[in-house]
Amino acid sequence: MEEHRVELTVNGERISSATKPEESLLKFLRRNDFTEVKCGCEKGECGTCTVIINKKTVKSCIMLALQTNGKEIWTAKGLEKQELGRRLQESFVNTGAIQCGFCTPGMIITAKNYLDQNPLPDKEEIKKAISGNLCRCTGYKKIVDAIYAVAVENQK
Amino acid sequence: MNQFKYISPKTKDEVLEILKEENIRACLVAGCTNVLPNIRDKKIVSKVLVNISDIEELKGISKEQDKICIGPLTTIAELINSEVILKEGKGLHQAAEQFADPIVRNSATVGGNLVDASPAADMAVPLLALDAILKIESVERKRDVRLKDFFIGPEKTILQEDEMITGIEFESSNINKNGYFIKLGLRKAMAIAVASIAVNLEVRENKIARIRIAMGSVAPTPIRLTVIEEFLKNNEVNDGLIEEAINKVHEEVDPISDIRASEEYRRYVSGILFKRAFEKLTL
Repeated sequence: MEEHRVELTVNGERISSATKPEESLLKFLRRNDFTEVKCGCEKGECGTCTVIINKKTVKSCIMLALQTNGKEIWTAKGLEKQELGRRLQESFVNTGAIQCGFCTPGMIITAKNYLDQNPLPDKEEIKKAISGNLCRCTGYKKIVDAIYAVAVENQK
Repeated sequence: MNQFKYISPKTKDEVLEILKEENIRACLVAGCTNVLPNIRDKKIVSKVLVNISDIEELKGISKEQDKICIGPLTTIAELINSEVILKEGKGLHQAAEQFADPIVRNSATVGGNLVDASPAADMAVPLLALDAILKIESVERKRDVRLKDFFIGPEKTILQEDEMITGIEFESSNINKNGYFIKLGLRKAMAIAVASIAVNLEVRENKIARIRIAMGSVAPTPIRLTVIEEFLKNNEVNDGLIEEAINKVHEEVDPISDIRASEEYRRYVSGILFKRAFEKLTL
């Protein structure tokens, strides 16, 4: 069985670890204890595995680990290292946008990357921005409200 | 035993050499958005995974004199952000905006969508209506293939095992600038089309000078409705003409029933989509 090494940066830290050619980034991250990246559908539909790579959101279940060699990845655990990440986490808690919590890591990652590039969206734009992240619990309203609350803060 | 290998060539020429050597054993991966689910489902086994996602010469959108050139590794998100595409190929821009979801659009590529050759392929439909040409290369030869001649069956194309798409081009022209795309799906995002349509139209003195109509999910491949195009050409634009055309649309499409819709519904809604797209371009 072919073995390869992946060297990349996760949440600001250099990681070097072995992998197989066909291993997904999701499985690779979880094997290396980044279990905040959740495994949902493994088909690229639910979005719970979403991470940020070089300032773009990516569904890690449909990317090969080896394709991230030399790249910079941010997961939900890295959110606390950046102000916008912390603000979003607080807003989700304060707004009550979390029920089972399974969609939350991917949802906040998507929201963070979106607000980094579009700091002043309206609610319709937010809905489109999170259309790749499924939630089976909340009905989305409070998630949109939580993200919008941060956008409103941005305006001040 | 299911054994994969992985290589990451740096240039297009290296890729072509690998394709020549590995032939059917090679599987090109870029965005990987369909490849990985297929690996999980064991539809792709024991391949040499050739990562082409970082090859810069296969990326980029440019306008050269009278044509628009799109690199096969252009992501759907890049199409949306392109002023050139918005201006020169509006139907393609609209299709990109409705493709999958915002996250997948960051990774999925135009080339990948065409090579996957789903009958529902969201990039194929507007590109057919733009009369796009594919630049195809192998170590041995280069050839141009009209997208119209590219698809031969569900998930089947004329691409040989040692070939890859190295460019997608369409003309900068009035007809191409005047396009409209509609995708009918069971939800607003992450939907495989129940039926989709792209129409490109040039009207002169209230007559149809040129028209191209392409549809997805209503035949074994994305198709051009050439019979209706012929019927409509040189005719005056009026309600009677549209109603006649709608009936012909019902006859020219060749849909099946599947988990998303019935054959009867697809046939019926094809006519409606044509009317809506046509009206958007003429009102």
